[in-house]
Amino acid sequence: MSLRRRASSVVTSRSVPELLVPGVLGGLLVVFVAVPFVTFLSRTGSVPLAGTLAQPATQTAIRNSVLTAPVSTAIATLFGVPLAYVLARGSFRGKRVVEALVVLPLIVPPVVGGAMLLTAVGRFTPIGMFAVRLGIPLTDSLVGVILAQTFVAAPFVVITARAGFGAIDERLEQVSRSLGYGPVATFWNVSLPLARGSILAGVVLTFARAIGEFGATLMVAYNPRTMPTRLWVDFISGGIDAIVPVAVTLLGIALLVVAAIQRVATAPTVIDQ
Amino acid sequence: MMLDVDGLSHQYGTERAVSDVSFELAEGELVALLGPSGCGKTTIVQAIAGHITPTAGRISLRGTDVTNITPENREVGIVFQQSTLYPHMTVAENVAYGLGARDIEPRRREAIVTEYLELVDLADQRESYPVALSGGEKRRGELARALAPEPDVLLLDEPLSALDRTLRLRLRDEIARIQREAGVTTLFVTHDQEEAMSLADRLVVLQEGHLSAVGEPRALYQSPPNRFVASFLGRTNTLSATLVDRDPPTIEIGSTAVVVRDPPDGIETTQPTAHIRPDAVTVDATDTPETEITLLGVVQSVSDIGNRYDIHVQLASGDTLVAERKHFPLAVGDQVSVGFDQRDLVVLAGPASDSE
Repeated sequence: MSLRRRASSVVTSRSVPELLVPGVLGGLLVVFVAVPFVTFLSRTGSVPLAGTLAQPATQTAIRNSVLTAPVSTAIATLFGVPLAYVLARGSFRGKRVVEALVVLPLIVPPVVGGAMLLTAVGRFTPIGMFAVRLGIPLTDSLVGVILAQTFVAAPFVVITARAGFGAIDERLEQVSRSLGYGPVATFWNVSLPLARGSILAGVVLTFARAIGEFGATLMVAYNPRTMPTRLWVDFISGGIDAIVPVAVTLLGIALLVVAAIQRVATAPTVIDQ
Repeated sequence: MMLDVDGLSHQYGTERAVSDVSFELAEGELVALLGPSGCGKTTIVQAIAGHITPTAGRISLRGTDVTNITPENREVGIVFQQSTLYPHMTVAENVAYGLGARDIEPRRREAIVTEYLELVDLADQRESYPVALSGGEKRRGELARALAPEPDVLLLDEPLSALDRTLRLRLRDEIARIQREAGVTTLFVTHDQEEAMSLADRLVVLQEGHLSAVGEPRALYQSPPNRFVASFLGRTNTLSATLVDRDPPTIEIGSTAVVVRDPPDGIETTQPTAHIRPDAVTVDATDTPETEITLLGVVQSVSDIGNRYDIHVQLASGDTLVAERKHFPLAVGDQVSVGFDQRDLVVLAGPASDSE
């Protein structure tokens, strides 16, 4: 009798508090993130949302962000995924240097990143002057916004895609080669589909980072305004309440895109391993 | 020759993995590449498939040098130890994958897929994804995928090593049947000598990147050309011997002189060793010399294996010896006489202590 009671008490004492300690610690972090979120959003009631969003300046900023962030994400993906594959599979001299360069934009404060871009493609540099002569200025233009966003956001897709490629057993690719496919076809047929989840996760992160990019954009293209730079201008002139409408819009667009990409990513996947 | 490996050497950095290995496979032959882990087997497979370019040597398929040809331009099928079925394709799509790289019209492709799925007895799982397959089914799916494009050579790199024993034995027979029916020239890589001997027409034995022996399983087992083969292909007892006469070469084991029938090279200059299989040794209580060679010793330990006893005997000469017997009425510590016949004895050149 006493034996049984002891046995059952072991079971109950295991089931409840197993996650108690990490749960409490993690819970504190969740609260810390959630509280400012809620207090900020609770301001929306006292602010004229529609009025602010109807202003031409605000609409231009939204349009600019919605135009540039997808382009930056596409550029980062188009060049970042092949780079990720090379880093996952290749071994070559200077690989460490390339790896360090890839994560550099994550370490450097965005404002400094923007300054670096200015020294390379600014109005008075050879590249910048050449671009102006061609009629596509690289600063204070949408192109400048895209450069800033890509510089800051590209590491996310490279790092996650690289992890995805690295997790694929190389023998799956070797079998594809032995079955008659060249390296490029093998990449398309095997590596890319198998790393798809990681790549899409990277695309999501890159997009979220690009559409929210402020520091580097501020340096490279303060004009034309994007949503983040518009937020800054509104904040300087009108305080916190002035930025609520654009901030909420930015949040909404970002969430919408992230949800859409994740839906695409998970729907037809058969490989949940 | 379907496959010709000639003087193959490979080095990873400064580490030499394979040294001057040569062997060949005739059409339709099943050859086992046998050796302990880390002896260079996988490097040889990778070189044949073209996934590494060997430091030296030549690989030829159907008489054509393919050493510097990319994997996709060699007709080599490959199955690894771990499953490599594509998780994002169905079984049928996996089998059809290799056909897609070739000029085969879709209807014909379907027929080939069906044919090979039937060959490996996996027709019912056609539309399944690999996740839903058992370990054995995955293996068979991979065999079908590798065979469907009708490669010149099929490479099986430890295909059974990751499976449990029952499945391994069943699939071993399956592979033998499939290989026979498909008639494909096959190189079966394994570290398991029993697997190799039961499947292969011929064995290629590797030791630390070097070719140790090539030959038919039974011949290598019965008259191993060197100590490594003698000990790697089944258990063997090594007895120290002394050369007592050069013409004809005669050795002395215990106090019995034995004329060596096929004297190995170097027997005159190095101390020879004699090898005897445990199942060829008799152990008796008294000195009843029914056998040609009799040695005296003391029973050290006895293990009951179930269908036989393994009897470890400490010989008067200092060597220890294992005998396999069906019956054993004696006890540890008893004085025994150990006997065997001269025809079961293999004499090799070289001292007993150089390598295992």
